[in-house]
Amino acid sequence: MGLVRYIGRRLLFVAPQLLGIIMVSFFLVKLIPGDPAVLMMGPNASQQALDELREKLGLTLPLPQQFLHYIVNVVHGDLGTSWQTTRPVLDDLMDRFPATLELVTLALLVALLIGIPLGIVAAGRSRGPIRKLADVYGLLAGAIPDFWLALVFIYIFYSTLHIAPAPLGRLDLEVVAPPIVTGSMLLDSLIAGDFDALWSSASHLMLPVMTLGLVNAGPILKMTQSTVERTLSSDFIRYAEMCGLPKRTVMRQAVRASLPSIITIVSVLYGFLIGGAVLVEIVFSWGGAGQYAVQGVLNADLNPVLGFVLFSAVFSLVVYLFVDLLYFVLDPRTRG
Amino acid sequence: MDQSAALDAAPVASAPASLAGGPPGGAARARSGPVGFFLAVLRARPMFAVGYIIVLLMIFAALLAPWLAPYNPVTAAPDDYLQPPNALHWLGTDATGMDILSRILYAPRVDLTIAILGTLISSAIGAPLGAIVGYYEGRSAWRRALSVLVMRAADVLQAFPVFVFAIALVAVFGQSLASIIAAIAFVNIPIYLRLMRSQVLSIRGMRYVEAAFVAGASDVAILRRHIIPNAIAPALAQLSVSVGWSVLLTSGLSFVGAGVVAPTPEWGSMIATGFQNVTTGQWWPSVFPGIALGIAVFGFALVGSSIEVLADPAQRRLVGVKHAAG
Amino acid sequence: MADFQPATETAPLLRVEHLRVSYQSFESAAVPALRDIDLTIAPGEMVGLVGESGAGKTTLARSIMGLVPRPGRIDSGRIEFRGQVMAELPDEERRAILGRHLAMVIPNPRSELNPVLTVGQQISNVVRAHSKLGAAEARQTALRMLEAVRIPDPGRRLNAYPHELSGGMAQRVVIAVALACEPSFVISDDATSGLDVTVQAQVLELLQDMVRSRGASALFITRDIAITAHFCDRIAIIYAGEIVEIADTAAFFDRPAHPYSIMLLAAFSHSGDLRRRWTRTEIAVNGSAAGCAFAPRCVRRQPRCEAEHPALRTTHSGHAVRCHFPVEG
Repeated sequence: MGLVRYIGRRLLFVAPQLLGIIMVSFFLVKLIPGDPAVLMMGPNASQQALDELREKLGLTLPLPQQFLHYIVNVVHGDLGTSWQTTRPVLDDLMDRFPATLELVTLALLVALLIGIPLGIVAAGRSRGPIRKLADVYGLLAGAIPDFWLALVFIYIFYSTLHIAPAPLGRLDLEVVAPPIVTGSMLLDSLIAGDFDALWSSASHLMLPVMTLGLVNAGPILKMTQSTVERTLSSDFIRYAEMCGLPKRTVMRQAVRASLPSIITIVSVLYGFLIGGAVLVEIVFSWGGAGQYAVQGVLNADLNPVLGFVLFSAVFSLVVYLFVDLLYFVLDPRTRG
Repeated sequence: MDQSAALDAAPVASAPASLAGGPPGGAARARSGPVGFFLAVLRARPMFAVGYIIVLLMIFAALLAPWLAPYNPVTAAPDDYLQPPNALHWLGTDATGMDILSRILYAPRVDLTIAILGTLISSAIGAPLGAIVGYYEGRSAWRRALSVLVMRAADVLQAFPVFVFAIALVAVFGQSLASIIAAIAFVNIPIYLRLMRSQVLSIRGMRYVEAAFVAGASDVAILRRHIIPNAIAPALAQLSVSVGWSVLLTSGLSFVGAGVVAPTPEWGSMIATGFQNVTTGQWWPSVFPGIALGIAVFGFALVGSSIEVLADPAQRRLVGVKHAAG
Repeated sequence: MADFQPATETAPLLRVEHLRVSYQSFESAAVPALRDIDLTIAPGEMVGLVGESGAGKTTLARSIMGLVPRPGRIDSGRIEFRGQVMAELPDEERRAILGRHLAMVIPNPRSELNPVLTVGQQISNVVRAHSKLGAAEARQTALRMLEAVRIPDPGRRLNAYPHELSGGMAQRVVIAVALACEPSFVISDDATSGLDVTVQAQVLELLQDMVRSRGASALFITRDIAITAHFCDRIAIIYAGEIVEIADTAAFFDRPAHPYSIMLLAAFSHSGDLRRRWTRTEIAVNGSAAGCAFAPRCVRRQPRCEAEHPALRTTHSGHAVRCHFPVEG
């Protein structure tokens, strides 16, 4: 029962925040110069045709009214149409968001596998080679632009060694995509039992996942290390040491106590990566949601941008909600 | 054993200890002043020295580029396109025949200008705002409402995908140096807002602040004299980190074509223009600017963490202390 | 230094010799925390260690356990527990002794107990770390210990988290943890300072009972000299990292010899006159490092006190006193 109240309170905060996000992005994107009607119909369109189109798109209405229309439509599941793809934005995003999600999720897993063990081991010692490695890795990972690392990997693994496929999308051209079930190319290939597609999608995922994973292991490493370090000098760990608990037990207690902070940074990173992976998506022509949004901004295509912002905000909120549930399980003090 | 240390150790009732013990830096000043202390820190943590050297080199490159660069950074030489690194062009040439080394040396002019100005503007807006918000929280009703409003606004801004938001801002203001700076400043504001607010919140409850309040000091005077000086250290440390991060963001903007426009030497746009060549095996147009960019960000991050250590008395005291066994 | 040891036949359980500990600092000279500490504790003996905050009490306790907090460092001297030098033991062997033979009762247990583990888990963790007991047996031990420290409804408290306990109850839990493995030596570091006065007396009595009934030794560290009077065999007074007086309890309260000891006792006295006589109001700032550490606050200060550091020596009444002009008779 405490749990339900807890979630209810969270959701209460979520609705106005979501509205705020849509509002800011709506007016921001509206401020981008460029007339969608002109862009859609081309420079040779007649004035009358342009006016008709503007009327049809609701561009002649005052801004607050346009916003209200947009909100009403969103509530009905209509995110508008992209003039670039001439398709409903919802459909476009349903195609592209899973691509981004698969990439980002796998990258985050790689980052966790590198960052958390290294951070924990480095926190336990104040010098030595592992500590040095962790310090340098943390600083380097924060300094390297991910799109540049992606290029370096393409040069090494595609141009030189020829082990990786060309950086052009999620599958080889001659491979037919498996029927969509989950949206994840790997899982869908497995479900369809299509091992050509499985191999092709895995090899296409390799470089972008490695790029994003290696770069984003940096913040996870730093956060894990500093949190575990702080916990190790806390009162209750000192007490555990005084009680002569074995080093492994003490370390386990410290990691356990650091989990909430680590989970927080991971969840923030997850939400951030949805939009933050866009440069790597562009390098690998991934066809993901971020790339779609950036194209939208650069071409005054309003609806894809708004749709993307909405999608990633909702995604972040879902992740945060899930994290709150985890806290609830992890820390007895929140249950009180 | 010198006298101040002896008195520090003596558990004498607080009055004489605080009189005679003085600030904990007492003996450090014996190390030939703040400069000597700073050098001692650099000796103990050589990585910090590396950071300062990198940052100084970047600034030198920006200032002295016309004398250092062997070629004009924006003159195309179509006959010399895509030369690999050689004696004439140490780092090779790009697809239009421009000398990569010269462009890398000129690039900090643009990158550092954008990053430093963007960071300064965002901290100049975010930090005072954060101080006021933190100070007003829990005071009279309308002030509390104001601070809640500002924090919720910051929540909304931070819920945006940073990169898409920055591109959108550049798109709104038009593609110019000023609008890139504005976009960078804007996305950095919430960081300083939060940092300063949490510091001020913890300091506001201190006795000396309450004493000043009881003594009838004005809000402005309390903020200026008591709160901001004690709360500013983490924000200062963040400055250098932000500069590095802003360089990354700037180059990302240029990479998608929403930042610095092509012939102007800038690391991110250099990487972007070299992109097509990488797939065909000409790695140098993209790889070298990326290394320069990485080194710059690395340097600013190191300087940031050195400031973090130096600004915190507890950490400062441990800098050179070898880990004692037992 | 042998002259102030109690006359015992058995080998001492704990022997601290010429211990010097200092805190290192990058900005200034190292700050000494303990200077030339000598202390021996026999099996079954209870010693009270009294001093104001900052005197080095906790540093001494941590040094005995081999856990000097960074940036502290043992400069010289040795600590022997059950014939072993703690500082030289490998990590694993030290852990095997701590909690098993040498246990600690801490102050403010609500912040020092692990917030995400139940009381039962915390006790049985320690039990299982030091024995071959299985989970169920360790839980039984935990329950027995909670009964022994007289916690009401122990079966239910076994599943309680630290934040659900009152201060007194948390203190009892810490005593249960400390005594769960039947240690031969217990250090109590200001263990009751955070409690209400009435609860304080109960908890102290409980701790004393449990230590005595198990035949263990104890070092009672406290700022409150009055509580040592009831159950300690000997009392040591520590000032500025030095033991300034050490004597059998009866002898100490009968005829305290060091001016600081008398000042501490006078603070509890009902006679304002006595308090005023032994407390210096104008404190000399120019204390000299070469002289007696207490000289700046001492009512009996002589020129010699500022020039020469006093050594610990035995008076006629059998006290060991670090003073040039001890109060005799």
